[in-house]
Amino acid sequence: MTGTIERLSGLLREKKVSCRELTQAYLDGIARDNSVLNAYVRTTKEQALETAETVDRKIAAGELLSPLEGIPMTIKDNISTRGIETTCCSKILQGYTPIYDATVWQTLKQQNAVLLGKTNMDEFAMGSSCETSCHGGAVNPFGTGYVAGGSSGGGASAVAGNLAVYALGSDTGGSIRQPAGFCGLVGLKPTYGTVSRFGLIAYASSLDQIGPICKSVSDAALVYDAISGRDPMDSTSVGQKEPVAPQLAKRPENLTIGVVKEYFQGVDAQVEEALQSAIRTYEKMGARIVDLSVPSVSYALPVYYILACAEASSNLGRYDGIRYGYRAAHYGSVHEMICKTRSEGFGPEVQRRILLGSYVLSAGYYDAYYKKAQNLRGAVIKGFNEAFARCDVILAPTVPMTAFPKGFAVQDQVQTYQTDVCTVPVNIAGIPALSMPCGYDQKSLPIGMQLIANRFEETKLLQTAYWFEQEMAGEIYRKTEWGCRQYA
Amino acid sequence: MITKEEVLDIALLSKLYVPEEQLDALTKDMDSILAFADSINAAGAQAEEYENAEGLSNVFREDEVVPSYPVQEILQNVGGGENGYFPVRKRK
Repeated sequence: MTGTIERLSGLLREKKVSCRELTQAYLDGIARDNSVLNAYVRTTKEQALETAETVDRKIAAGELLSPLEGIPMTIKDNISTRGIETTCCSKILQGYTPIYDATVWQTLKQQNAVLLGKTNMDEFAMGSSCETSCHGGAVNPFGTGYVAGGSSGGGASAVAGNLAVYALGSDTGGSIRQPAGFCGLVGLKPTYGTVSRFGLIAYASSLDQIGPICKSVSDAALVYDAISGRDPMDSTSVGQKEPVAPQLAKRPENLTIGVVKEYFQGVDAQVEEALQSAIRTYEKMGARIVDLSVPSVSYALPVYYILACAEASSNLGRYDGIRYGYRAAHYGSVHEMICKTRSEGFGPEVQRRILLGSYVLSAGYYDAYYKKAQNLRGAVIKGFNEAFARCDVILAPTVPMTAFPKGFAVQDQVQTYQTDVCTVPVNIAGIPALSMPCGYDQKSLPIGMQLIANRFEETKLLQTAYWFEQEMAGEIYRKTEWGCRQYA
Repeated sequence: MITKEEVLDIALLSKLYVPEEQLDALTKDMDSILAFADSINAAGAQAEEYENAEGLSNVFREDEVVPSYPVQEILQNVGGGENGYFPVRKRK
């Protein structure tokens, strides 16, 4: 009993399955498979079953269900959930229980979304393999020797492994799209400002964005519609546009797809081949393909790391051991308490990024690094503006390769940073992008295709994705519907 | 090249202790990370003054009084606190 939001919502409405049975099936799946996938760091069984009862009562009373009502889902461990421990998979937040809900969760809770638990992630979302998590990394359901990706690796692993129907993740430099790409899923990073970040524990506030990880483009549209909109608690949020889901099947007219050459430098041959085939598919369907160059894309990577770490060093200054989470056991002065708490509570990658952030913001280095990176950010934005004057959507790889083997990402930080090369430009420019599967490599690992649109053009972006998904249905999507037994 | 002293200095600014036995490895890590960060210099003249993304502007709200969180609830995260405060006491 697995599938997409659309399918399962249909089964609930037609009373072919009760919400309790559906929820129990997913809870049983977690009990059976989470020891292998390490997708969940916490489950919320009682709350899930309670919500399921509420939904079943509504169904029995003949009440109409909203699209996400009664659907079992999961939330990344950096999104605040009232009364449920939320730790960013860091020792420093062990035991921290938020006293408020993130706006996205409050919204979904009102629609009786069934929360199954909190999912694994790189510590404070800093990583590309989920392996910096204090719980160890989440495993890729397509091959247990491979990582699920990061930082929202737990959410992607859960959805691909049929341990949740959809997941909420966060994307600062690719943390939704990269794991979605590695796990053959659809991951949407919406335009900066479209989804409230209130209650999302901050990593880099000018880049962070919440979005869905789903099994299909329609599911991504449904979740996006539900969570987007203006929130007075997040001053960067803007008003809601027309819902995307009802317009999804409409073909984008005179669609022009841009192929930016800088995105294809150093891409694995099999990934390149799958993307070229996707380009040919779009061309066959009637889209116009234009070759473009956006030079600023090629230096977006160091710009991202400088800006993200600078913001992180400031955002993570709040962890002092005084008000919540971990506090060092022994200390003399308050200064010693804070330093010991932070040194013992943060993992090595978080400490490295705080150090880099402090360095680039410190007197003497500010102009050479932070200021320069901010200026280059302007160049990246300008580059995309120029590109979108010539095309509607940009097609690119999500990651230059398929899922890493376990342990790869922890060997060499800089080498791992390089793998974010295709995802970070979008965050710097604040524009929307999604990853969707477009094929498999020889190891049967999914290959992610990234589609990028101009800001606030989620409708066009999702329509373009839906068009491809419909064309490829059966060829690609059959493989993602494999069920948990495949890796056993 | 970043020196060990610089690493210790930045660590102090960041309120982090670096254990002696980890200093060499951390300095090496920071050195390669900074070499990577230096690659923005290859972008040369392309840098231009940063302007906010089009269509975005600061949003201000009315300064209205709204309910706050109860102190007791906030203090649950430190085991209830003491007399309504966060306790910070020497723990040798």
